[in-house]
Amino acid sequence: MESETAKAAVEAALSQTNFSAYDWVIVGAYLLISVFIGLKVKKYATSMSTYVTAGRSLGTCLGIATMTGTELGLITVMYSAQKGFTGGFAAFHIATVAGIVTFVIGFTGFVVYRLRAMEVLTIPEFYEKRFGRNTRIVGGIMLAFGGILNMGLFLKVGSMFIVGITGMPQDGSALPAVMITLLTLVLIYTVLGGMLSVVLTDYIQFVVLSFGLLITCIIAISKLGWSNIFETVEKVMGQPGFDPTVEGAGFGVEYMVWMALIGMVSCAIWPTAVARALAADSPETVKKQYMWSSLSFLIRFLIPYFWGICALVYFKTQAPDLDELFLGDGENMNNLYAMPVFLGRILPVGLIGIISAAMIAAFMSTHDSYLLCWSSVITQDIVAPLMGDKITAKGRITMTRMIIVVIGLYILYWGLVYEGSEDIWDYMAVTGAIYFTGAVALLVGGLYWKGASSTGAMLALIAGCSAVLGLTPVQRSLRDILPGSVGSMPVTEIGKAHITVKDANFTPDSLVGGKLHIISNGEWQEVKVVSNSKSRIGVKPWGSKFTPKEGDEFSYYIGIPGTRVGLLTVAFTIIVFFAGSLAVPDRSPPSESGGDTSRQEPTGEDSAAETANTDEEGGDA
Amino acid sequence: MSFWIFLWKAVFIVGVVLFAGMAVWVTIGGAKDIKKMFAQMDKEREE
Repeated sequence: MESETAKAAVEAALSQTNFSAYDWVIVGAYLLISVFIGLKVKKYATSMSTYVTAGRSLGTCLGIATMTGTELGLITVMYSAQKGFTGGFAAFHIATVAGIVTFVIGFTGFVVYRLRAMEVLTIPEFYEKRFGRNTRIVGGIMLAFGGILNMGLFLKVGSMFIVGITGMPQDGSALPAVMITLLTLVLIYTVLGGMLSVVLTDYIQFVVLSFGLLITCIIAISKLGWSNIFETVEKVMGQPGFDPTVEGAGFGVEYMVWMALIGMVSCAIWPTAVARALAADSPETVKKQYMWSSLSFLIRFLIPYFWGICALVYFKTQAPDLDELFLGDGENMNNLYAMPVFLGRILPVGLIGIISAAMIAAFMSTHDSYLLCWSSVITQDIVAPLMGDKITAKGRITMTRMIIVVIGLYILYWGLVYEGSEDIWDYMAVTGAIYFTGAVALLVGGLYWKGASSTGAMLALIAGCSAVLGLTPVQRSLRDILPGSVGSMPVTEIGKAHITVKDANFTPDSLVGGKLHIISNGEWQEVKVVSNSKSRIGVKPWGSKFTPKEGDEFSYYIGIPGTRVGLLTVAFTIIVFFAGSLAVPDRSPPSESGGDTSRQEPTGEDSAAETANTDEEGGDA
Repeated sequence: MSFWIFLWKAVFIVGVVLFAGMAVWVTIGGAKDIKKMFAQMDKEREE
C-alpha cells in the first residue's frame, strides 16, 4: 500500500511536465534529419581514413564544434546536473579546472601536437610506433575494455532524461523502450556514415545545443531569481555548497586533485577527444582547436551544474511535492531525474521540444563518436595486427560496422543490469581509469622520455587494470578483506529500523555513520547505520521497494572512495612504468618511421613518410 | 564563504558570455568548414 502511494506520488509529479505533442514533432523531425545525414554521406566512407578521421580535413571551427558535440553529451549533462544537485556551487571547481587544463594543453600542445604530427589514426597505433606491435595489441585491448565499460551507462542515463522530461512512467517498459529506440537510431547512422556523419551531426548538435543551453539558463534565472539561487543554496547546504575544500558536499582536496587529473585526461588522453586532434588538418589547428575548446570544456560542466543547482532551488522554494520526492525523509526518487523533471516544469511548449531534441542530439553525438572510436580500435589495433594486417580496407570497414552493433547491444544489456551505488560521474572516472592510467604513462613517457621501454609500457598497461577496485560491485565482492569490514553474517531478527545478529563472535567497534549492506535473494541494499550495540544495529528505515527478512546475509564495510583508488592507480602505474623501463630497457631505439619524437620535432619529410606508413597499415583504398 | 560566492558568480558570468560569443563564431565558421571539407573530398573522389 505504501509502495502504491509512493508510485502515485511519483506519477503525479512527473505528469506535470510541459512536454506536448508539438514537442514530440520537433524531436521526431530532428531524429529523421540525423538518419538522413547518415544515408547521405555514406558514399564518402570508402576508406578507413575517411571512415575514422573524416579524411583529416577538419578546420578549426568544425573541429571545435565536433569536439564540443562529442564531449558535451547527454550523459555529461545528466551526471553534471546530478553533481550540481548534490554538491551545489562547490561542483563548479570541476568545470573551472577542466577549462583551465584544456587551455593549457592547447597553448603548450602537450601530447596532442606531437601525436597529430605523427599522423597516427589511433592511440594504440602510436604505441606500436613507439613501443612495438605487442604493446599496440595489449594497449588496444585495455583501451577497448575500459572505454566500453565506461560508456556502459550512457544509454540508460540518456534515456532517463527523455523519460524524466517527457513525463513517461518510470517503471515498466518506458525506459527500456526509449533505450532501444535511441540505440537503433544511433547505430543506423554511425554504421552507415562513420566519422563523416559523426562530424555533421556534431555540428548540428553544437548549434542547437549551444543556444539551447544559454536560453534555458536565462529562463531558469528569470523563474528563480539570481540572488535567490545563491541564498537558497547557502541556506540549504551552508559552506559546503560553495567551498569545495571542505567536507560535506562530497569533495575535498583529494577530490580536487583527482579532478585536475581527469581534466587533463579528458582532453589530452581520452581517445574520443584525441580523435578530434588526429582528424585536424594540421598540428597548428590542433592547438587552436584546444584553446578555443577550453571554453566548451568549461561550459559542458558549468551549465549542467547550474541546472542541477536550479533544480534544487526550485524544489526547495516552488515545488514542495518534488522536494518531498527527491529530498524527503523516506525513500527518495533517483536524483538523476531531478534536472529533467525541473526542465519539464519550467520550459514552455516548443522550447522544451527544441531542448529535448538538442539533448537527444547530444546523446547521439556522444554515442556515435564513442561507438566509432572503440570499434575502430578493436579493428585497427587488435584484430588487424593479430591477423598480420591482411584485411582489406573494405573488410576493415565491414568489421568496424559489425563491432559497432555488438557494442551497442552490450550497452543496452549493461544499462539494464548494472547496479552500482556511486554517482555516474564517479563510475565513469573509475572505469575510464582502467585505460587512462596506463595511457598517461605511455603517451607522456613515450613522447617525451627517450628511456621509455616496451617492457615498462606493457607493465603499465596491465597495472592500470587495478582501477577496477574503485567500482562498487568489485568492492562488494572483496568486502571480506577490506579494512574495517565485517564479513557476511546471517540476520536473525529484522525490524523496520534495525537488525539483530545473534552471534557470540560479533563484537564490532562502532559501525555508526557507515553503510550496512544487506543481501536478500541476490539483491543488494545499502542502509545507513545510525546506532549499534553489541548485536542490534539501528539503521535508517528501508525503502518500500526492499524488504529484508530473517536469514538474509548482511555485511559491513567502509568502501574505498573511487577518487583514492584512481589516484593510487595512477601513481602505481607511473612507478611500474619507470621501474620496468629502467630495469628492462629496449635493445634497439625506436625506428625512424616510428617517429621518435622524444628527440626531435617531426619535419615535413617525416610526416610524409609516416603518412605512407599509416596509409599502408590503415589499408586505404 | 563570500569569496567562493563571488568566484562562482564570476566564473559563471564570464564563462557563459564567452561561450555565447564562441557559439556564434563556430556556427558561422563551421558551416564554411563543412563546405570546404566536402569540396575537398569530392575532389579526392574524382582523382
